[in-house]
Amino acid sequence: MTDRQIDCEQALKQIFEFIDHELRDADHEAMQRHLHACKSCFSRMEFERLLKEKVCELRDESASPHMSQRIKRLLQGF
Amino acid sequence: MAVSRQFFEAQVIALLGPLQGVARRLTCNDDDAEDLVAETVTRAWRALDSLECEEAFKSWIFRILNNTFISELRRAGARPRLESFDCDDPAEEDADFSIFEQMHQPFLLWFGNPEQEFLNKLLREDLDRALAALPEEYRIVVVLSDLEEFKYGEIAETLGIPIGTVRSRLFRARSALQKKLWEHARDCGLSGAAAGRTKSKFAANGVVSRQNEGDSGEKR
Repeated sequence: MTDRQIDCEQALKQIFEFIDHELRDADHEAMQRHLHACKSCFSRMEFERLLKEKVCELRDESASPHMSQRIKRLLQGF
Repeated sequence: MAVSRQFFEAQVIALLGPLQGVARRLTCNDDDAEDLVAETVTRAWRALDSLECEEAFKSWIFRILNNTFISELRRAGARPRLESFDCDDPAEEDADFSIFEQMHQPFLLWFGNPEQEFLNKLLREDLDRALAALPEEYRIVVVLSDLEEFKYGEIAETLGIPIGTVRSRLFRARSALQKKLWEHARDCGLSGAAAGRTKSKFAANGVVSRQNEGDSGEKR
């Protein structure tokens, strides 16, 4: 069985699912093969991946001390 | 499903950071976010019987958070929605907007790696503003996926929507986010750069000005 090939249009449609690791194994591998061969789609994927990383950095890691105290008091009251 | 009080408390404490983070993104206000989390925890405790299994706790409590936010929003009534277009039926150009494609229009003259420069100059405040300007339905999927690293299946469970809807909504949400970022960059100097009207970090740092070199008019 030959490896399935996808074109640029198909690749762009599933670019976010690729970045999010939400593609099935066979689709992920087909995408990887396309990105290896297509500089344009690879550049697009890299841009989307790096932009997602920037958005990820907005994450607030921990609750504020005030929030923590308030919730602890609330839990004690249940 | 009856879980122990200890389990409930431990899970709430463990998820408090993400709960407050998501609440902040939804409400765009620290005080409202704290109230939302407190109300969520109260509702969750009262609705403990609706938790199907311990493994589902995360999706379950974030679903309560989202539902509480929506119900509070409806109750407030007068509060304006932070959206600039209809979420369910966005204009076609919004549905697949891409900064990368905008930067690779054939009539634009770029040097170097413009998309990398764009990312390098992108500040947290730019992203904060763009995210806050999204409709709630779009903002929540971006926040759950990209900030809280939920899998599509978890987002589907949390929001009570099919996984296919998660896929399409996330695609549109990211497109809308990029459009907001692009519009902000443009407002900060893209159109003014050609006339030498450097207005912002974008233009000042060359992110959006180079494409207009040698041009006397506005591109857009």
